[in-house]
Amino acid sequence: MRGAGVTGIGGLLMQHTFVVAETEFEAWLSRYGSGYVLHVGDKVVPVALADTASDGQFLHCGAEISRVLIAPDGDLVHIHLDGATFTVRYVDPVRRYGSHAGGGADDIAEAPMPGVVIAVNVKEGQAVSAGETLLVIESMKLETAIKAWRDGAVAAVHVGVGQSFQRGAPLLTLAPQ
Amino acid sequence: MRRIESKVDTSSDEFRLNWKHNRALADTLKERHRAVRRERPARDLERLSRQNKMFVRDRIELLLDPGTPFLELSTLAANTEYGGEVPGAGIVSGIGIVEGREVIIHADDASVKGGAWYPLSVKKIVRTLDIAIENRLPVVHLCDSAGGFLPLQADLFADRYLAGRIFRNQSILSKLGVPQIALVLGHCTAGGAYVPALSEYNVIVRGTGAIFLGGPPLVKAATGEDVTVDELGGADVHTRISGTADYPATTEEQAIAIARELVGQTQRPEKLDVERIAPEPPHYDPDELYGVIPRDIKVQFDVREVIARLVDGSRFHEYQPAYGSTLICGFAHVWGFKVGILGNNGVLFNDSSLKGAHFMQLCNQSRVPMIFLQNITGYMVGRDYEHRGITKDGAKMIMAVSGSEVPKITVICNGSFGAGNYGMAGRAFDPRFLFMWPQSQISVMGAEQAANVLADIKIRQLSREGRGLSTAEIAAIREPILEEYRRQSSAYYSTSHLWDDGILDPTDTRNALAMAISVTLNAPIDRPHYGVFRM
Repeated sequence: MRGAGVTGIGGLLMQHTFVVAETEFEAWLSRYGSGYVLHVGDKVVPVALADTASDGQFLHCGAEISRVLIAPDGDLVHIHLDGATFTVRYVDPVRRYGSHAGGGADDIAEAPMPGVVIAVNVKEGQAVSAGETLLVIESMKLETAIKAWRDGAVAAVHVGVGQSFQRGAPLLTLAPQ
Repeated sequence: MRRIESKVDTSSDEFRLNWKHNRALADTLKERHRAVRRERPARDLERLSRQNKMFVRDRIELLLDPGTPFLELSTLAANTEYGGEVPGAGIVSGIGIVEGREVIIHADDASVKGGAWYPLSVKKIVRTLDIAIENRLPVVHLCDSAGGFLPLQADLFADRYLAGRIFRNQSILSKLGVPQIALVLGHCTAGGAYVPALSEYNVIVRGTGAIFLGGPPLVKAATGEDVTVDELGGADVHTRISGTADYPATTEEQAIAIARELVGQTQRPEKLDVERIAPEPPHYDPDELYGVIPRDIKVQFDVREVIARLVDGSRFHEYQPAYGSTLICGFAHVWGFKVGILGNNGVLFNDSSLKGAHFMQLCNQSRVPMIFLQNITGYMVGRDYEHRGITKDGAKMIMAVSGSEVPKITVICNGSFGAGNYGMAGRAFDPRFLFMWPQSQISVMGAEQAANVLADIKIRQLSREGRGLSTAEIAAIREPILEEYRRQSSAYYSTSHLWDDGILDPTDTRNALAMAISVTLNAPIDRPHYGVFRM
């Protein structure tokens, strides 16, 4: 007997992804009768958790029963199972399937709003690291720091202190990578 | 829901300097709270003990369930008025737990001018009862007031939102079926006599409690009748003869015990069924908020860094992450309660305004309470933006915020200037609660811009009279204007005048929000409907 959705298309299923000891596992828990079955790869195993009288719980996995201690900690879960300790990390699917560039693929910083340059902290040719403040602009009484969106070298600074600019004007270019 | 990835470098000098600065402001706030709560001239405290009365703070402590939180509101009301001599405007207001039920407390502080009501005392009581009405919160009144402060009677008596409003609000609460319990712990004279009379239940302490429209001196002057306080309106008169009071008590402690019993037999309100999950502490320590907020109000910061230190697990589902990026919108949980958050990340442009109005409609449609995190200098000005309709787009936000049916809670995290205050659920737009952070500023425009405008007018006037001015003379005109403007835009001035419900230490904000959200869920949420959005 298989749970709905596990048949056929394998890797295209949106299952939960977990990392245990640097290895990724895809798994899904679905209802089966009054309990649950766990899908891991092609395997489908009935599972259940039962409280013990003292500390921890009993994990029923197929025919096996083990004593287990579970401590959730944000995206991590620490598990003590049969004398061994595991740390399981949940991998967010939106992050997992997104590109790792994290935006900022462009080389040019454009003005987010019209304003005036009040400080230029870098020179052409200078190496900068992500997060470093490159320029400070003022607009509508607010000072905004334009920060390096990636590591790189400054190819050109298009504006000088005191210069005003329109929204979308190029402020600074990083050398292409 | 994904965790926000903080970009703040907590080991940088900038972070450390911010932390020190903002921590010092929080310490000052804590000290001012302590002084307002506990510091009283010895003679006032001695008078209380001579009268066999407890200090207001001790009464409240005895009333509340031990070990439960008390969200005090407007602690620093009147701090800039009446020569600073009326701490808390002579009233304690706050939300606490009695017999497992949320209640709001209005308590007169007889250690301050005999509990006399100043204009700001009246404003604070009216606000307390407005909160009770909007959130269907049972009220416990601890009555001990000398009556209206006569020298300022013109500012507290007749207008729509002055003293009469207290009794109007009490009647509306009763009509809505929200119970009130009054303890008569001192004299309730004239208007004050209606507070217990308009409550569902009241308790009066024998010997110290009294209720009458006119006290013995007034009776003597009016009719010549000689009568003692007890004969006129003491516990026995009202519980045995007139029926104005319900339960006699021999001591304050007994009165408070009866009040707890009365609260315990009120019907527990059914909370709105909104999404709630198991709470999770923020991944990023709220203590880091001190380092996130810049020392200079002009310096921009990413409101996501604030959200990351307020919400469960620092998890945030950001809506339209690539559009209108100067207004951050999205969903999160606070102590397990699902909320929609709108936080400023710069000036409001056309796109950010549209995004805000749209997001508010989404929250209303799915019955999600909204939290507004204000740091706003206003809407963008200039030809391009006017041509694109920045005014009508701002109007859409105002239409959406005014028409919203879900509870709104506003926190002014930094600047609150101009029309941005309106679009982001400022006080006039009936957020259920509005809190400020200690360094925040609120005014129609920034202090320097306003001082320049005001000084320029004066300088031009003088130069028309043929008087040239030296730089020093110009500074002499500008500086006092700037100083006064700064004073009037500070969080302390705002809270003094009850433009907010109190100044919060940023690290207390998460807990305050959770209590506030919980309270809002006592009241029903209507189906969303709005006026006309100018397209």
